Amino acid sequence: MIKIQTPITNSIIEKLTVGDMISISGFIYTGRDAVLPKIVTLIENNQIQALEINLKGAVIFHTAVSPAGVGPTSSNKFDIESSIPTLSKAGVKLHLGKGALKPETIAELKKHNSVFAVIPPVTALLKDKTISKKVVAFPELGMEALHLLEIKDFPAIIAAVNGKSIYDEL
Amino acid sequence: MSYKSTEIINKVKETLISAGSTFSDDKKEIYRQAIEKESQPVAKWVLENTLKNALAAEINRSPLCDDSGIPHLFLEVGPNSEVSGQLIADIHMGIYQGLNALPGRPMAIMGNDFERIDQSGGLNVDPGAMLPSPLIIKPTKEDVLRLHVLMHGGGPEIRGKTFRVFHKHSVSVVTDEIIDWTVEAAGKLGCSPITLAVGIGRSHFEASTLMFEAMVFGKHSIQSDIEKDITSRVNKSNIGSLGLGGDITALSTFLKVGPQRASGVRIVSMRPCCSIEPRKASVVL
Repeated sequence: MIKIQTPITNSIIEKLTVGDMISISGFIYTGRDAVLPKIVTLIENNQIQALEINLKGAVIFHTAVSPAGVGPTSSNKFDIESSIPTLSKAGVKLHLGKGALKPETIAELKKHNSVFAVIPPVTALLKDKTISKKVVAFPELGMEALHLLEIKDFPAIIAAVNGKSIYDEL
Repeated sequence: MSYKSTEIINKVKETLISAGSTFSDDKKEIYRQAIEKESQPVAKWVLENTLKNALAAEINRSPLCDDSGIPHLFLEVGPNSEVSGQLIADIHMGIYQGLNALPGRPMAIMGNDFERIDQSGGLNVDPGAMLPSPLIIKPTKEDVLRLHVLMHGGGPEIRGKTFRVFHKHSVSVVTDEIIDWTVEAAGKLGCSPITLAVGIGRSHFEASTLMFEAMVFGKHSIQSDIEKDITSRVNKSNIGSLGLGGDITALSTFLKVGPQRASGVRIVSMRPCCSIEPRKASVVL
């Protein structure tokens, strides 16, 4: 198990290979279908500074945050997968979710030295690993707002890095 | 409120919590068998953690998954039982209270038809605002009034399919089609291993209902030859847990074949239930 602390640097990414089991600790953002396209629009319009967030070396976990807990939603839903190139270009180093991504998305991840990792849907186990949570943008979206979580030892598996995908071998 | 109503509401509330938080004994056992059989270390680790998560959720009576699901209801009505408007109202109240107690994820969209389609009406913060699907009622010879509560997550709904199959007077034509659909769906689902639910009927509504009934009554410990064959062939896909490769893509198949019409067409409804589904629990009312 490779331990990763946020923010993530390029040198950490360079050591990762497909199939690596990792454990993530530190601060991570969460976002899914509703909020990620809004973040992308802000980045494309050079307005992301309006939000008090730092995407350099960041992790984005594709999940809602609700009283039910957290857990991965399908990263290959249109609104989520289409956000990955722009977010990676803006500095996001690790996209955390589930499901196979398109080859074009894998190529974009490589271009920006970012990775995709999958996390099992273990909501009951993640509850004890979530230290704090707060809304940082778009509170009107409720569970789909952009949240900042402080986490300890979230388990995940590297599914795509450096142009290679675990799904290529299937 | 009458004593009877209070009793029914409480029973339904507790049943919803069980459905959302607990693996049945046969599901725990099929997971143990899958862990034993799986040869890929990463896939084995995913299976072990999925079972560990289920045991933790059961102890805490907390959600198995953050997508706590949409309540779907199936009522068995025996020869001496009656279904009244009051009974259905009590069931709905039990569902409301159960969603708040679990707690369910608040994900009901507010607003008119347009706002509910494009999600511009905002989210209702009340977990109980997530209304259950229409109630399916079926007679049973058993002298009982039994409610089954199932919690349907979003992932399998994205990957499920109801469509016609030209059977060419061959069972294998139909099962081949089901396997093709399933392998494609399981690869994209993310949350495998799946439990495959299939209904075969005369209309889209009937096939969907039969698929639902297969989920209600299906057991991992009781598998027909055709169910075993489908599971075994899906497992040759090597999709594995979380789609990361492995021997176990499907734990079991739950198949229900209904009455059929004289025609070259069968309507097939397929739902690749995710690794924690079917989330279900039953109660005698």
